Amino acid sequence: MILEPQKRISIKALTVWRISSVIKILISWILAGVAIFLLHIFNGPFWISLLLIAIELISTYFMIFLLPSLRWRRFRYDVREEEIELQEGIFIVKRTLIPMIRVQHVDTVQGPILRKYQLASVIINTAATAHEIPALEESEAEELRRLISNLAKVADEDV
Amino acid sequence: MSEPKRLHPIVIVLTIGKRIKDLIFSFIALLFIWNKGDGGKLLLFAASAIAIIGIILTSILSWLRYTYRLEENELRIEYGVFVRKKRYIPLERIQSLDISEGLFQRLCGMVKVQIETAGGSGNDEAEAVLSAISKEEARYIQEYVAGAKNSSETNVYEEPSQIVYKITPSQLLLLSLTSGGVGVVISAVLAFLSQLDDFIPYEKVFRGVEQWVVSNLILIALLIFAGLILAWILALFGTMLKYANFNVTKTEHDLVISQGLLEKRQMTIPITRIQAIRINENIVRQWLGYGSVSVESAGGSASNKEGSKVLLLPLVKLKDIEHILGPYLTEYQFTSSFTSVPKKAMNRYIFRSWYIVVPLVMVSIVFFKVWGLLSLIILALVTFWGVLKYKDAGWSLDDHQLSLRYRSMVRTTVFIKKNKIQSLEMRESYFQRRKDLATLEAFVKVGFGGAGGRVIDMDRMDVRKVYTWFSREAEKRV
Repeated sequence: MILEPQKRISIKALTVWRISSVIKILISWILAGVAIFLLHIFNGPFWISLLLIAIELISTYFMIFLLPSLRWRRFRYDVREEEIELQEGIFIVKRTLIPMIRVQHVDTVQGPILRKYQLASVIINTAATAHEIPALEESEAEELRRLISNLAKVADEDV
Repeated sequence: MSEPKRLHPIVIVLTIGKRIKDLIFSFIALLFIWNKGDGGKLLLFAASAIAIIGIILTSILSWLRYTYRLEENELRIEYGVFVRKKRYIPLERIQSLDISEGLFQRLCGMVKVQIETAGGSGNDEAEAVLSAISKEEARYIQEYVAGAKNSSETNVYEEPSQIVYKITPSQLLLLSLTSGGVGVVISAVLAFLSQLDDFIPYEKVFRGVEQWVVSNLILIALLIFAGLILAWILALFGTMLKYANFNVTKTEHDLVISQGLLEKRQMTIPITRIQAIRINENIVRQWLGYGSVSVESAGGSASNKEGSKVLLLPLVKLKDIEHILGPYLTEYQFTSSFTSVPKKAMNRYIFRSWYIVVPLVMVSIVFFKVWGLLSLIILALVTFWGVLKYKDAGWSLDDHQLSLRYRSMVRTTVFIKKNKIQSLEMRESYFQRRKDLATLEAFVKVGFGGAGGRVIDMDRMDVRKVYTWFSREAEKRV
């Protein structure tokens, strides 16, 4: 039988994702504003402006309120002695199994927003794929990186 | 062999040719820009002369600087004109040696050796290229590398090499007839024509022609048809030249593949480096019961895809594969019994093929009325394709091997050993969950980056079964 992965990422991830969503949404509002302005000047059809505003409103709701919490609730991970398991996705639930002996190296990365909240992402690289555990507490990410690279050391030579 | 060696001087000619080829377009462009003033012409000639002399000098220099030697179980290459570079490759890291003979190399009895490691650190080049060395030298390197790799093992006796497969003339013909090379030739011609766009005033030419075209529609159709036939024949000969004398032998630890008539190639693939074995059947071949088998190895760089996906059997009857490869690739089970995806998945397969086409069909019916109905033919085709995809999707599990079968354009069957899978994924969308279906994808390391196989809409319990099979921890708990 399979255990479902249990561990969650930091709850602060929600805030971080919302902030970056706000930035993206602001940019798209500005673009939409420019478009509507141009439409107005050139006497474009009014319904396009309405449509744009509707799309903006809906995506604002989705990107800032709904999706981050869905995403956070779904994301689980587990680091076991011989494998790493991830579960992610919003509409499509994706579960990934990475054998420890296939791990090539582990990175932690930290953007400006993550840094402000003392969070970091861990990226696990195999020879063929890369997998991200987003937004862990800095100390936890550090610890995880150390743990994984220790466990992965026994890897056999053949790729 | 520790003293540094140089490549054959023919390399200088090759390098000069390559650099001039790279520059030729800028030369031509300059010619067009500068052909106005008289003083400009002189300047242009001077510049060209300087450039050519520069190219010749640096080519000679770079040949002089390029040395290689085998030392302390490493292949050591030193090169670079302005910046000196040294590249040391440990012999046991070498994934494959690829020996080929281009026309120039053949003229002076040399061969080109490409050396690939798993890393593929150079994004666009093989790890090391010895562009022209003598055949004896190449053989010596080959043996030296093989020797270094096997030195750790105790048995010293050399197994005689066995012939695994040799292409027959009739197979070669069938291979050429059923290959998709036509597309390549046509697109090459089109690309060439579009390159000439700037020089030939198509618009002027065609405006006068328009009238003529309308009255000679049949002739035009015939011309196009003849062009297609010609492209096909060219492609046919191309494939024949490429795969003539194709044969595979097995030495103690490697598969050695050699092929080609004008340009000979020889590739050595260590059996332990094989990541997956893949059978491809395009629709014509599938109908005739044939397919091609390729092995995917971890070596290779981004530009040299051929180094990592190597055709092992260019054309073979499906039912003979087990018989031909079984004795040599003993780890692999060439199973042909696949569990299909459940029946309820069929609607989803058809629906997926409709995503793009149905809106197009609707639009064309709205706008073109009766003529738009013709687009229903396309709809029928993609639906047929969707059903094919559904029929072909399947999977099979052995103790240490996962086999997946699926179709995109061609039907692909891929065999992967458990310990070569880099990661395994299962995906369930909301709609799949309602029907108890899920998607399975396995990733292996092939060349630069990854590849693998994916079967959509398998039974959810089956996906879980494969997932559990792959989980080392689940194994422990049992």
